[in-house]
Amino acid sequence: MDKEMKIQATSTAPRYGMLIDLRKCIGCRTCQVACKAENDVPLGVYRTWVKEVEKGSYPEVRRHFIPVVCNQCDEPACTRVCPVEATYSLDNGIVVIDPHRCIGCGYCMAACPYAVRFIHPTRGVAEKCDWCWPRVRSGQEAPACATGCTTGAIVFGDLNDPGSEISRLLATVPNAVLKPETGNQPRTYYLALDDEAARAVEHGHGG
Amino acid sequence: MDMTVLDTVSHGHAFGFSIAIYFYLTGLSAGSFIISTLAYGFGFEKYKPLGKVGVVIATLLLVAAPMFLLLHSGRPLRAWHLFVYLNATSPISWGSFLLTIYPINCVIYGWFMFTGNAKLTKTFGLIGIPLALMVHGYTGFILSFAKAHVLWRTSMMPILFLTSALVSGVAMMILVTIIKDKFFSEEGKINEELIFGLGKMLLWLLVFDLFLSLSDVGVHYFGERESMETARLFLTGAFAPLFLGVETLMGKVIPLVFVSVPATRRVTVYGFAAVLVMIGIFTMRCNVVLGGEFIPLL
Repeated sequence: MDKEMKIQATSTAPRYGMLIDLRKCIGCRTCQVACKAENDVPLGVYRTWVKEVEKGSYPEVRRHFIPVVCNQCDEPACTRVCPVEATYSLDNGIVVIDPHRCIGCGYCMAACPYAVRFIHPTRGVAEKCDWCWPRVRSGQEAPACATGCTTGAIVFGDLNDPGSEISRLLATVPNAVLKPETGNQPRTYYLALDDEAARAVEHGHGG
Repeated sequence: MDMTVLDTVSHGHAFGFSIAIYFYLTGLSAGSFIISTLAYGFGFEKYKPLGKVGVVIATLLLVAAPMFLLLHSGRPLRAWHLFVYLNATSPISWGSFLLTIYPINCVIYGWFMFTGNAKLTKTFGLIGIPLALMVHGYTGFILSFAKAHVLWRTSMMPILFLTSALVSGVAMMILVTIIKDKFFSEEGKINEELIFGLGKMLLWLLVFDLFLSLSDVGVHYFGERESMETARLFLTGAFAPLFLGVETLMGKVIPLVFVSVPATRRVTVYGFAAVLVMIGIFTMRCNVVLGGEFIPLL
C-alpha cells in the first residue's frame, strides 16, 4: 500500500487493481466463462480459472474457491526476461503482450510464479489475462469476469482513487496476495485467502 | 489437514525436450571447442590430434543446436525479432549474439588451423574460449532467471552447466579419438596416451560435477518448502530413477570408477565409460529442464 500512496501523491492517473472477496465466491465459474467469451480464448487454455481445493475431512470440511487471474505485478518476472520486449507494463500497471512481436519462446511462462501464461494453440504466441484492457480502455467499466461475477466478489478499480471501492476495502479489510515472497508485488488482492489452500498443488507430483 | 486439489488449470511446460537437447548440444560444442584449443591455444602438444576434429565438431553442433530453438518457438519465422528488439535483462537476448558470433569465430579459428597459420589460430582460439564459455554459460542463466521454479532460480545453474558441458565434451572426445584412430587412420592404431590423458581430465571433471550436483540437491533438501519438494522429487519421487540411477550412478559414479582404477586402464573400458557419461549428461539436461517444471505452481 505504501507504494500506491506515494504514487497517488504525484499523479492522478489511474493505477488499476483487482480484489477478489473469497467470502462471496461460490465457485460458479461465471468469471471463467465470461473471460472465454470476451477474449476468444481457445479450448484447453484459460486466462482465468477457479482453483478448487477441499480442506479438512467430513464433517469438518470446507471447499476453497480461488479465482486466478494475472496479478499484473508491479515487479513482473515475465517482462524482465522477454527477449524481444513483447510483454511490458502499461503506466496503469497492467502487463500486456504485443502479439505481433512475441516469438513464442515461452520464457515469460517459465518465469511467472503464478503460471497464468500460456502459448496460444494456433497463434503460437504467449497470452494471458490483461484485465480486459481493450474493454477497460474503451470505457466499458470493469473486466468481463468482474462484470459477470454473480455475487459481486470481484472488485476492479483505481488504487490511486482513495474513494474507490477497492481502495476502501483494501484499507479496511485484512487482505493478502498470492506468493508475496516472490517480490513480484502482485496487484490482485484476496479477502479471506487461505494460504495453504492457495499453495496446494495436485497430488501425485513432487514425490 | 487433509487437502485435495479438486480442480485447477495447468498450461504445460514452458520449456521441453527440445530445449534439453539444445542445452546438450551447446554443451558438447563448448566442451569440444575447449579441448580443441588445448593444443592450438595453450600448446599442450599431446592434444594436437584433437585440434582439427574438435573445431569441426564444435562448429557443426553449434549450427545444429539453434534448430531446436526454432523447433521449440511458437513463431520461428519471427526469429529476426531477436536481433531487432533487444532486452538487456533477458539471457535469450544475449544468446542471439553469442549464437551468431561463436560459430563465426569457430569457422575463422578452424580456417587458420587448416591453412597452417599457427599465430592466428592461437589468437582466435583464445578469443573463442570466453565465447565458448559464454555460449554455454548463458543457457545456465536462462534457467537461473526463470524465478518461478525453485530448481532453476539458483546461481548454481551456470557453473553446473559449464561443468557438465566440459564433462560431456571430454567424453565425446574420447569416443571421437577411438573412432578416428580405429576407422579413419592408416595404421588403425589407437592413440592410448591421448585416451588416458582425456580420461584423467574426465576423472577430475566428474568429481567436480558430482560435487556440484549433489551440493545442489543437498541444499534443496534442507531448504524451504518448495526446495524440499524438489529435492524429494529427485531423491525419492518420479525423477529419482533418472537422477540417482541414470544420471548420477550410471553417468557419473561408474565412469568415475572406470577412469580412476588402474585395473580398468584399457581403451575399451574408457570408451564404454565415455558412452555412459554422454548418456548421463543427456539425462542430466532432461532432468534439469523437465524436472524443474514438473511440480505445478498453482
